[in-house]
Parts: sequence; structure tokens; C-alpha cells
Amino acid sequence: MKRSNDFLVGAIVLLVVLTLTGATLWVKQTDIGERRSKVVARFRDVGNARVGNAVVIRGVRAGTIEAIELARGGWVHVRMNLDRSMQLPSSPVVLLNESSLFGEWQATITPRSALPHDETVQAQVSESSGGGEVLPGAILPDIAKLTAVAGQIAGDVANVAGRVEVAFDERAARELRSSIRNFADLSTTLNHTVRTHAGDLDTLSRGLQSAVKSLNQTAASAAQIAGRVDSSSSSGEIRQIVDDMSHAAAELRRTSSQVRAMSEQMSATQSRLDAFLTNGDSVLVKLNSGQGSLGLLLNDPSLYHNSDSLLTQLRGLVTEVRTNPKKFVSVRIF
Amino acid sequence: MTNASSVLPEVSLGARRVVRPGRVLTTMGRVTRRGLEGIGALTRFTARTLEAVRDVRTWGPLATLHMRRVGVDSLPIGLFIAVFTGIVLSLLASYSFTGAVPLYFVGTLVEKTITMELAPVLTALVLAGRVGANIAAELGTMRVTEQIDALETLGYDPHAYLVVPRVLSGVVMFPVVVGAAMMLGVASGWIASIGLLDLSSADFVKGVRLFFSAFDIRYGLVKSASFGLMVTLIGSIRGLRASGGAEGVGRAATSAVVYSAVLILLLDAFWAITWLLGSER
Repeated sequence: MKRSNDFLVGAIVLLVVLTLTGATLWVKQTDIGERRSKVVARFRDVGNARVGNAVVIRGVRAGTIEAIELARGGWVHVRMNLDRSMQLPSSPVVLLNESSLFGEWQATITPRSALPHDETVQAQVSESSGGGEVLPGAILPDIAKLTAVAGQIAGDVANVAGRVEVAFDERAARELRSSIRNFADLSTTLNHTVRTHAGDLDTLSRGLQSAVKSLNQTAASAAQIAGRVDSSSSSGEIRQIVDDMSHAAAELRRTSSQVRAMSEQMSATQSRLDAFLTNGDSVLVKLNSGQGSLGLLLNDPSLYHNSDSLLTQLRGLVTEVRTNPKKFVSVRIF
Repeated sequence: MTNASSVLPEVSLGARRVVRPGRVLTTMGRVTRRGLEGIGALTRFTARTLEAVRDVRTWGPLATLHMRRVGVDSLPIGLFIAVFTGIVLSLLASYSFTGAVPLYFVGTLVEKTITMELAPVLTALVLAGRVGANIAAELGTMRVTEQIDALETLGYDPHAYLVVPRVLSGVVMFPVVVGAAMMLGVASGWIASIGLLDLSSADFVKGVRLFFSAFDIRYGLVKSASFGLMVTLIGSIRGLRASGGAEGVGRAATSAVVYSAVLILLLDAFWAITWLLGSER
């Protein structure tokens, strides 16, 4: 019983100790048997980089930071464990930077030609170069610093916003609102104009197309005419046309002479008509001025009255005659 | 027939009992005295136990027996708790990390929480119930049945024969049980993350390795050793001071569990303050 207790307790203790040790070494990725190559880089400051942080080459995890220790000359040496199969890039440089927002840091081994275009980083690398087997290193600004700068910028923006708020009173707001409204109107007008002109442009384009089409048709007709002319000239039709044209011209000349004669006759008739009108005009002037018998007849009112009286008397006489014919007519046969 | 009005004034008189300042001071003094007496008794007891450690021939043959009882026999319950703690912790972590926090931090949280806090404390609390009560009841029974007096009569040092092997087994085997609980807790969290969460094995391991430090293990093991010391000491002292027959044994077992649980939490805070506060790992 006692021996079995001893064995059991010993076995359990040994098992737990060995398993726990193995698990710890595995999680820590401890290099047992020196199967990894060592690389040392020097920095002026290592930020929040810690032992155990990842070492990355071209984005691939290649090892871990094994130790961080102070060195002479104000340097900090970072010793890294790398897989033996890993090959360092040409002219390697080690950059320490944050790998996430949660405080994780990593060491990135990169060729010098691939360094970020940052004066501070370039200066750090230049300063840490020339350390023999020790690689030059630089630290990139961590997110906390960037956040602090961003916070400062945000503060400045808030300050500016505050000042703008002071300057931007109710009146300014009204003016701005009015300006925006005017701008909106202007925009609407511009939109309308653009649309209208777009229509015009369409119409113009269509007209131009039509003109071009007409021009094409004209050109085609001209070509056709030219062809016909060509064929006509070749078949003697032109001569016939010219002869017809000269005949027509002679006819036109004859007609023209006839028209000219008619025109001369018309001119004589017009002269006679002018003389007639002149004479008529003088007669009418005399009539209007009351000269002569006819003038007096037209212009003397007494004559009208006398005539009217005469007519009245005549009407009375006719009436009397009708009433008493015997008074005026006496028929005697015997 | 009792008149109700004759009863009421007595009640009201009892409720109106005047608290005198002198009585408060007396109570405070009594509590302080008892506290100091307890500390003194514990110190004397510890000193006698340390003194008895020299008597290896007495406790040596019994050590592995108690180690088996305290450690090996407690492994199943310790591992059972660790398995479920790991599973629940990974699920809780994934539930909390939805959003901006990457899911591989589940591994970090499970590793840190299990190794530094939950495995030591939960295992110690469970073992306080199992081991502390067992020791108090066993020693209490021996005390009330005068077996301890008989041992003394036979020339055995009760501390060397009864207390030292139990305390040593607690100091040695608590870290063993807690170490196994740490591994199984993290492993169960790992398996739960792969099986129940949208998390790959590589991501979980990445999270574990991200902030892992050997200090985490060391801290948990040292804490668990101190818990083992405290649980076995309290169990022994309560058992050896038991009196009053079976009822006294029961009281001793109960008080051993209660005192052990309280002291485990106090020690936990003590280690956190002295070892974690202000230190950068």
C-alpha cells in the first residue's frame, strides 16, 4: 500500500511537472538545442516591444524577440531568434512597430530599400548603421503617439470650431442661408438653361445632320448632274439645248418689243387721261366756287328752296286736279 | 387572562434598550483580543509545526499517504472544475469580444485567467471543502476520542505525526493539482473555441502566445502552494482544538471550511497586491 502510494504520487507529480514544463516551453517557443539563428539589432529606443514579440519578414512570422538589453553608447540591443530556414533580405533593417491596436508589437526585418519615406526613420537607420554584425534598427511611431497627435489636432479643430461659432452669429447664418437659397435658385436656372441649350443643341445638331444629309444629297445630285452633263455632252444634247435656248431668246426679244409698243400706247392713253382729269378738275373747281350756271345751281340755296316750294305747289296742284278735274279740264264735244 | 396592554410596554422597553458607549468599547476590545488570540494561536501552531518538521522519521512514512489523499484523490474534482471553467470562459470571452476586439484574444483571456486566477482559486476553494473539512473532522474526532492524548502518552509529537505530513502534502500537492487544472482548463477552452466558436486553432494559440509569460504559471503555482498551506493549517488547527463530541467535530469541520475559504480570498488579494501591483511583466 505504501509503495503504491509512493508510486502513484511520484508518477502524478512527475507527469504534471513534465507536462507543465513542456507546455510552457511550447507556448514560449523556447529554442531547445539551438536550432535557430540569432540576429541582433540596435535601437535608441524600443518603445513597448517585449521579449516574446513576433519577428516578421515580408509579413511572415519568422521568429521571436529573445532578449532586450541595454548596451554601451546609449543603444538598446534586441536579440531575435529566427528559424534557420529563414534568409534575411539584402541590406536588412529592423523596424519595431505596433502590429495591432491592442498593444502588440513586432520586429519587422525589411531591406533598406523598402524603408518608409519618413525622415525620422531614415535618420534612425542612418544613425544605427555601422554596428558591424549588429543590424540597424528604427522604431516607428506607435498608435498611442499618433492618437495623441490626432487628439491634439481634434482639439485644434474644436478650438477653430469654437471660434467659428463665435464669428458665425445669427445674422451671418441668415446671410448664409440667403446665399444658399440664391445659389439654389442660380443652380436651378443654370440647370434650366443647360437643359434648354441642350435642347437647342439637339435641334442644332439635328439641323446640322439634316443639312449634312441635304448636302450629301446635293452632292449626289451634282454628281448625277455632272454625270448627265457628261453623258449629254457626249451625246450632242447640249447643242440641241443651246439651239432651243437661242430660239427662246429670239421669242423673248419679239415679245419684249411687243410689250414695249404696248407700253408706249399706254403712255399716250395716260397722257390723254391726265388731260381729261385736269379739265374735269377745273370744271369741278368752277362748280365748287359757284361759277357759271351749273355752279350757281349747285351752290345757291335759294334755288333749292324755290324748287322745293315749286314742288309743294305742284303737289297741291296735282291734288286739286285729282279732286276737281272739271275745274281744270273741260271737255266739250259739242 | 393576560391583558395585551400589559405586554406591549415590556416589548417597547426592550426595543428602547440604551446602548452605552462603554459597552461598545468593551465589545470592540473583546473582538480585538479574540483576533489577536487567534493570530497568536495560529502563529504558535505554525511555529510548533515548523519545529516538528525536523522529526522526519515520524512524518516521513506518512507523507505519501497524505499526498495521495490530498493531491491524487483530489485530481478528478479539480480537473472537472477546470474543464468546465475553460469552456465557459472561452464562450464568455467570445461573447464579450464581439466587435472591435479580435477573436484570437479569447486565447489570451483564457490563458491569463485560468493560469493566474481561476485554476488556483477555484481549485483551492474546492479543496478547502474536501481536504480542509476532512482534516478538521479527522483530527477533531481523534481529539474528542482522546486518541491524540494517547499519542502524546506514547511519546509521539502530535504535530509531527498528524499536522506536518498533512501540511506538507497540502503545500506540495495543491500546486500539482492546480498545474494539472491549468493545463486542462486552457486545453478545454482551446477545444471549445475550435468546436463552438468561429476560431481556428492557430488563432487561439496566437492569442495564448501573445501575452504569455512564465510568470503566469509561477504566480499561479506559488499562490496555490500558499492556499495549500493555509487550508491544511486551518483544518489541522480547527481539528486539534475541537471539543464537545460529535457536535464539536462538526463545528470544527464547518469552521475549517469557512475560515479556509475566507483566508484563500484574502491571500489571493495579498498576492495580487504584493506581486502584481506596480510590477510590469
